[in-house]
Parts: sequence; structure tokens; C-alpha cells
Amino acid sequence: MAEGRDELSSLERVALALQYKKGDRVPTAPLVCGASRRVLGVTYDRWAQDSEAAAASLIAAQELIGFDGFLCLVDLSVEAADFGQEVIYPANSTPYPNFDNPLIKTAEDYYKIKKVDPRKSPRMSRVIDLVRRLSEAKGKSVAIMGFVYGPLGVLSQMRAHEALFKDLIRRPDAVRHAVSVINESLVEYTKAQVEAGAHGIVLDPLFSSASILHRNTWTKFEGAEAKVLADTARDAGAMVIIHNCGNGVYFEDVIEKTRPVAISHAYPAFGSQTWTDHASKWAKKVVTIGYSDPAKTGHVLTQDEILEDCRQQIETFKVAEGGFILSTGCEFSPGGNLLSAATMVKASKLYGRYN
Amino acid sequence: MPNAQLQQVVLTELAEAVLALDEERAVAAAQKALHEGIDPYVAVQEGLLSGMSRAGKLFEEQEYFVPELLVASDALYAGLNVLRPHIKADAFGVPGKVVIGVVEGDTHDVGKNLVRIILQTKGFEVHDLGRDVAPAKFVDKAVEVGADVIALSTLMTTTMVNMDETVNLLVKRDLRERFKVIVGGSPLSKAYADKIGANAYARDAISAAEVVKKLVQQPIAIAG
Repeated sequence: MAEGRDELSSLERVALALQYKKGDRVPTAPLVCGASRRVLGVTYDRWAQDSEAAAASLIAAQELIGFDGFLCLVDLSVEAADFGQEVIYPANSTPYPNFDNPLIKTAEDYYKIKKVDPRKSPRMSRVIDLVRRLSEAKGKSVAIMGFVYGPLGVLSQMRAHEALFKDLIRRPDAVRHAVSVINESLVEYTKAQVEAGAHGIVLDPLFSSASILHRNTWTKFEGAEAKVLADTARDAGAMVIIHNCGNGVYFEDVIEKTRPVAISHAYPAFGSQTWTDHASKWAKKVVTIGYSDPAKTGHVLTQDEILEDCRQQIETFKVAEGGFILSTGCEFSPGGNLLSAATMVKASKLYGRYN
Repeated sequence: MPNAQLQQVVLTELAEAVLALDEERAVAAAQKALHEGIDPYVAVQEGLLSGMSRAGKLFEEQEYFVPELLVASDALYAGLNVLRPHIKADAFGVPGKVVIGVVEGDTHDVGKNLVRIILQTKGFEVHDLGRDVAPAKFVDKAVEVGADVIALSTLMTTTMVNMDETVNLLVKRDLRERFKVIVGGSPLSKAYADKIGANAYARDAISAAEVVKKLVQQPIAIAG
């Protein structure tokens, strides 16, 4: 089978898919973020803290692999670092908070969190700069998606997950207070990324999934804030996309709060047992971005197996009538085989042509 | 010797305290059990652990979620702290010893903690090394305590490779046949477990306990 010839730019391809219109083929965005550093041989700690190096890496990766959208996800500690959380930056692995020294050591510390200015704070300002650099270099031809981790997720990076989960039950008012303060900064962060050139904002309300919280618990602690962030992105002129790699995402609740054009996810929605079941319920209601297993794609499957895996996904989401973007369900494994990301693009050219 | 009816009331209260996520209630019920002369081993097994087992069942049925299970375990441990000093050392049969931890570079430990809790409620002796654990630390601890199983957890694809390194270290030190290795965490799969030569993969905390139970009963047979 021949790969065929592309007639549209990546940006055009993605824009059409997000409107349930068929372009030349299924857009492909394997969420190559940290993995891009290996294209130019940049260490992870530098990639995470140097927006010039990160932009150069992502651009080189896009030109090498041919994916249709940039996702400006650096890592999940970005926002927390700017609130004061100590972060560890390994040379060859994803940065992470030092939970031996959490910013929030007791429940009373939730009340000590102060709003920060993301345009001036060290890490968020660099992500804004990353968006700007990508926009200037590729904004007319490739989709550029900003990234905002939901406030409850940001809080988990400053308190450690287990302590936060217990506080949801024991100190709900303190958690709610902190979520509200954090969200004020995230609103500005959202606006700044759109101003810097992001076509869309990917909002990650990670805890809106059945693998972690009851749907009512998520709504209580983050639902209102997610709505504010989504409204902010739209008002600023960007599309809203939800990303959540948890198992059993509460589609009804998330859609009600954020009205996204698309949801990027790794597992079928809450209430759906299989992808076929999911596609029959949701494919025409919200654009699906998914759903290759990033660990298998990057580390286990052969290139032929990846082609077949992607072919099956494209087949499953034919019912979406164009509203489907082939992607990994979560960030492409930073240590994974980059050829596998290119193979996903190849699969779209082989099996995802629309005429 | 307490009368049977009173004993049942106290055991039910112990179980209910865990289910109600109430540490103070669990402590009070444990103290009442001692005061009424109830065998503390029975109070743990048929009271606290019965409650935790029901909490685990509710977790499987998606009535309880991660926060509820974590707080239920706090109530369990609060009651256990009262009762344990009064239990004869050999009362608990130990089905096996497990060294568990989150691999180097990763700090997501909720899943690992749930596995630890469930293993402990099933009587396993669990040595929890915490998060961000180097391969050598897993191996050294397993040798030190004479573990049956090494349980490796991670939530990130970046750090999955450190599971591989732990297995390789066992091979390098000529210890691979001595310990069984189970891996788990969101990005993992049986295929990945097979690829790195682990003995088993568990898709969630509940099944992990069952898999570990089977592992300690089986002779060494590396997957793949």
C-alpha cells in the first residue's frame, strides 16, 4: 500500500479534524515532548529549563518525525516549582518534586500559598517563551498547543499525592482554598500562552478519572476551576482540549464543565468497556485524540505491530467522520524509540487517507 | 472469656470503624476489645481486617476510591497499633516476605502504598523502601530480609527502564533465581514484564496481592 501525497499543512489538517471535517488524512500527534531532547542531544535538565533548547529540540523532532502538533508539556512540576516547591532535575529523566521536602508540609500550609505571576516566575515564563518560539518558527504550519496542569494536580506536586488525597477527606476547606489561589495564577498562565501564540490550550484535570476520585469529588474540588480555565482560554481566542491519561475519565462531567473541542485520553471513558463501545458513545460528541499505549509503542511493539495497532485505531474511529487525531494516550515515552513516533505518522499516511 | 454476642458487637464495631474511615473510633473499639478480654488476634482478623477487606471490595466496585482506601488504612493501622502489642509473636502466619518500592526517578507512590496495605492485610511481611529507590537498594534489602518477592512500581514511562536495571542487577549478582519480581504501574503491561524478564505483572493493587500470593507458592519461572 502506498503512503499517498499530503495536500494540507499540519495546522490545516488538525484544524479540520477539530471541526469534524475530513482533510487529506487523519492528523497524527504522538505527543513527543521530552523525547525531543534526544534529537539534538540535549540533557533533560537543560531541556526542561532552557526554552531555547526545548524549542530547538521540538522543532527538530517535528521535522524528523512529521507530527502535526506541538504539545508544550515540559513536565508536571513546572507550575509547582514556581509556587516554591523544590524540584529535582535529573540529567536523563523527567524532573520531579522532592517529596522529602514538600512545600505543603501540614494542612495549615495550604493557607500559605500565594498567587504568582507566571509571566515572571522562572519555569512558567519559560514555557510561555517556548510557546512563543514555536509559534514564531512554525505557527503558520503546525498546530501549537499550550499546556496547563489543573490546580488539583499542581497541588499534588506540592503536598505529595497520598497526603493530598487524605486531605480531601480530612481538610477539604484547606484544599479548596489552595486550589482557588493556584487557579488565579493558572488563569494568567493560560492567557499568557494564548498571547504567545498557542492555537489551543490543553488542560489536564488528571484527577477527573475513576482510577483516582469519585466524579463528585472531582467536581467539588476542581470542577469550577476547570470551567474558569477553559472559559479563559476560549475568551483569549484559543481552542480548549482536555488531556487525561487516567483510566475511566468522567467525560460527562469534564465536558459539562469545560466544553472542549477534543479530549486526549489513554483509556475508554468512564462507563465504556472497550474502544468500540467508547467510539459509539462519544466519537461524534467530542473529537478523540488517542489512543496508542505510549509504553508499548515506545518500548515493546515492533514497527509492523505499531502500524497494525494504528490501523485498528483509525478503523475504530471511522465513525467519527473526520473527528479523530491519532496520538499516544499520554506523552510519548521520553526514552522510547523515536522511530515508533515516525511509524505512527506513516500509519496515518497508509491507512488514514480520506478519499 | 467474653460472651459471644458482646464479642460480635465489638468485632463489628472494629470493622465499621475502618469502613467509616474513623481512626478514633478504631482506637476506641480496639481498646474495648482488650477491655472485654477478646483475643486481640481475633479482633484484628475478624474486626479490623474484615473491615479493610470490605473497603477493598468497595474499591473494586468503585464505591470507594483512592482517598477512601488510604484513610481506611489509617483507621486500620490505628486500631492495629493498640492490638498488636498484645498478640503473641507467632500468632500471625506469614505467607511470604515482600520488598516493595517505587523505582528510581519516580515519586508516585499511591499505587505502591495500596499494594503494601493489601499485602499486609493478607498477612505478608512487607518491607517498604518508599519512592525513588535505586536498583541496588531493592536487591540489598531483599538479600537482607530473605524476601520471596521484589515488587517494583512506577507511573512514568521515563522510569520504567529502572525496573529493567533491577532485574539485570539480580542477574549480575547471580541472584535472579532467588527472588521473584513483580512489576506494576500505569504504563506497564504483561508484554513489558515479559520483555525485561520479570516473573509477573499486576494491572492494579487488588490483583497485585493475588499475583504475589501465587508467586510465593510457585517455583521460579521467569515470564517470557
